[in-house]
Amino acid sequence: MDRKLLSVIIALVAVLVLFLLVVWIGGTINESLKLDETALLRFVFVGLGLLIVFVVYWLTRSSGAWDVGTREVVYMAIGAALYAVFSYLFNGTVFAVPSVSQVALRPAIAIPMFFGYAFGPTVGFFTGAVGNMFGDALTGFGLSPQWSVGNGLIGMIAGMVALFADKKRSMNMVLIISLVLAAIATALYFLNPTLANMLYFAPGEGIFGDQAITLFAGLSAVIGLVLVVIVRFAFGKNVDVAAAVTWSMLGNFIGLGFAAISDIWINGYTPAVAIVGEFLPAAGPNLIFAAILVPILVAAYTAAQRQAGR
Amino acid sequence: MLVTWRYRKRKSLIQSFDPRAWIIFYACFLASSLFFWDLRFLTPLLIIALVVIFTSGIGWHEMYRAWLFIGGFIVFFSLLTFLTGRGGMELYTEEHLITSLSTPFTIFGWRPTLNITVERTFYALSQLVRVFSIASMTILIPYSLNPAHYGVTFHGLGLPDKIAYAMDLTMRFIPTFGRDFQLTLDAQRARGYEIEKLRGGLIAQVRKLAPLIVPVTIHAIVGSEDIIDAMDLRAFGIGPRTWLEQLHYRRRDYVLMALAALLLAVSVIVSLLGYGRLWTPEWALRPFGF
Repeated sequence: MDRKLLSVIIALVAVLVLFLLVVWIGGTINESLKLDETALLRFVFVGLGLLIVFVVYWLTRSSGAWDVGTREVVYMAIGAALYAVFSYLFNGTVFAVPSVSQVALRPAIAIPMFFGYAFGPTVGFFTGAVGNMFGDALTGFGLSPQWSVGNGLIGMIAGMVALFADKKRSMNMVLIISLVLAAIATALYFLNPTLANMLYFAPGEGIFGDQAITLFAGLSAVIGLVLVVIVRFAFGKNVDVAAAVTWSMLGNFIGLGFAAISDIWINGYTPAVAIVGEFLPAAGPNLIFAAILVPILVAAYTAAQRQAGR
Repeated sequence: MLVTWRYRKRKSLIQSFDPRAWIIFYACFLASSLFFWDLRFLTPLLIIALVVIFTSGIGWHEMYRAWLFIGGFIVFFSLLTFLTGRGGMELYTEEHLITSLSTPFTIFGWRPTLNITVERTFYALSQLVRVFSIASMTILIPYSLNPAHYGVTFHGLGLPDKIAYAMDLTMRFIPTFGRDFQLTLDAQRARGYEIEKLRGGLIAQVRKLAPLIVPVTIHAIVGSEDIIDAMDLRAFGIGPRTWLEQLHYRRRDYVLMALAALLLAVSVIVSLLGYGRLWTPEWALRPFGF
């Protein structure tokens, strides 16, 4: 067996055994133990997220998209640093950019999407995960490691377009998957329209997570999806722009879906609260940034590349 | 041109340890703080943070901006927590009302009311202590960790060469891109751009952020060509990397790492035993007749 695979399997088994031991010992000394009341589950979900990344990598390892050379190392660092700086600046405290109907402007998310698409899944994952970690550290928000992994997944999936020889065909598959995910999340919103928006805060108005989600925020995944589809077909001849927004959309759905769903166990949310209160207000608006800022970044980068002749 | 964090060599507790040992201690401290909402368990962590701050050798004049920003941020959000009870509902199910303040007026039949409860008060206090401990331990790192040691530190913590170097570069790029952003913002403001007064619908507002985000991002990518060339010319990634400076653990580093492991182990065990959740003391309930 490949040495790298063997060492990863041994590490994963060791972590699993350690966790099971902790649960077993914890259950023995405290019969009323509830794991969601400890911070242990956060680290379990980090492990689970990294396992997903590893499995995807292992199944597609023959592709050159995963190669990391000098260029990728530098782009990883640039992407992570930019994401950290923009997250810090646009988190609502340094620049109080306005929000529209509970949809706050968080443009930084375009960075892992763009870096993932332009430079591959490894760069995308590093940009999202490490950038989010440094961004939280700069702001003093503390540590939400499972959300860092979720951000990493956004960048990684945006970069997985490089695994497909035919970008156009891959886009159709991605659109169908995204449509299904958006439909499920929006259906949950219509079934629970009075749930609170857990992510929205407007310090000036004293609002943080205690207001029912608005219709606009509840429908934002569908609105974002429609915008992405418009961009995808408006730029039908520019495959780069169309593929960038389409794959960014899937990355956004899966990455934030992973983080929000993990809160069902970590914070004890119901599935409806996790999807309607956390996933929709985060993933929907992100699609609007994906549809607008990612094409601009792709076009600017293409022009810069052409100019530099590289 | 790279801008650096304000590191300089100081006689301080942090800098007396190997940076790898300090990062391990920091990670265990951070993870431990996640296990608790009980003020009695958070206070020892706060004391550790205060000891580190006062022995850091960093003068007020060197980092007062950072303290003011983080202090303002923490106090503001703790106050918001106190006023709204945000986030606390996951930690307590029952609230003991101290007083209820209502405005003398109504808005479309709704009277804004502020409920001050014992649980909200202790939750806000716990949050203040918890976030202050984490944030203060975090902001000391760039002031105390030698930039020349970033790469070798991450490599020494077990990361592969390429990832260690990417982490090294990330920490170096953050202040540089912060400066680039400020320059871009100033340049755009000189052209009449006002980020504070973005108008139009959501799509128009997002589009108007592009003049800030796109130049900083593309400038960073284009400017990286020099770094890539320099690294390629030095055969980066061809074989195992060597580092200009070597780090060596001393006895005090082993002691610090053992203490870090102990802190984390105790936190996990205490948490598994069911302690460390939000604490509302009896003496705080009694004066209000509960």
